[in-house]
Amino acid sequence: MSKKDTSLFESIHQQYFPMVLQMCLGFVKGDYDKARDLSQEVFIKVWIHLDSFKGISSYKTWIYRITVNTCLQLIRKKKKNVTLPIETIALSFTEESKNDTSEASNRLYKAIGQLNELDRLLIMMVLEGQEYDDIADVLGIQPTNVRVKIHRIKKRLKNILNHE
Amino acid sequence: MSNHFSELESAWKQDKKNIKSSSTALDAVYEKIQTNKKESFFFYYGTIVILTITLLVISSFFYFVAPVEKLLSRIGIGLMLVGLLVRIVIEIVSIVKSKRVHILDSSLETVNNTIAFHTFRKNVHGIVTPIIIAFYTVGFYLITPEFLLYLPVWNVVLYDISYIVIAVVLFIQIRKGVLKEMKIVHETVELKKSLLQEG
Repeated sequence: MSKKDTSLFESIHQQYFPMVLQMCLGFVKGDYDKARDLSQEVFIKVWIHLDSFKGISSYKTWIYRITVNTCLQLIRKKKKNVTLPIETIALSFTEESKNDTSEASNRLYKAIGQLNELDRLLIMMVLEGQEYDDIADVLGIQPTNVRVKIHRIKKRLKNILNHE
Repeated sequence: MSNHFSELESAWKQDKKNIKSSSTALDAVYEKIQTNKKESFFFYYGTIVILTITLLVISSFFYFVAPVEKLLSRIGIGLMLVGLLVRIVIEIVSIVKSKRVHILDSSLETVNNTIAFHTFRKNVHGIVTPIIIAFYTVGFYLITPEFLLYLPVWNVVLYDISYIVIAVVLFIQIRKGVLKEMKIVHETVELKKSLLQEG
């Protein structure tokens, strides 16, 4: 890879690392070590495929695609390991941020952690402000299906938050 | 519902502010890229290299060290070598198919390609590999009669028994491989169902 691409990669890393790490954290229910490994895997794939970025979508959507597929591939590997209890979420995240994690953050990760893997990814893309059409494009399903799914997930999240 | 969601959205945004990209994180990625380069070579080509070396060693052994004279033994060696050669070809096909599981495709496409790849692996483990082992086994025992001409009987009996032990180990390994691939196919099919499920 040329020096130009290296600086492009570094600027992509700088810009999208928080987004990727946060999605990975949400996906692995706040287990920081797993999230860090997963985010590294995402950026290795970004590095490998950077030359094939055609600019059809934005870098953000392109990186989402890689992140979502990497997370989904992890489901198989993850099932072999013991999943961390949801209570560890705040602790792990605090270690990374070195800041006090708010009550709202705890609620957020607890709630997301109770959804199934696919739903977790979907809702995190919504929280990131992705358009439904872009989410449909990343997942390869119909936008109407995305809408129905998100409506159901929001309802489920509401139930989760109400029953805390 | 919207209040709850707005609350989650603001918590999400707030948490993101706590995460910053660092040079340490970037260095860790570069380090992993270097390690992965070496590992992926062995991951993809390790089996092919080992099988090719085995093929060359067996061929050289029967050509230079112990050339057999009987037709039956030659057929036996032929079956063993063909079995190994087919296995090498399958490994190459397997690499080509694994590279079709492209991370840049949509999740649904990736899931479909993953199912196709692991179904292929399942069939290789469950159907093709046992046939190759059968070829190899028949070939192995076809050489035995000629070995009896040059070696003591107890030596050949020991040689035949040792193969049975290897066959049992291979059977267990193949069964494990089939079960593993079936599990992956099952889980990926479930994932596909939840992707396509309306709501």
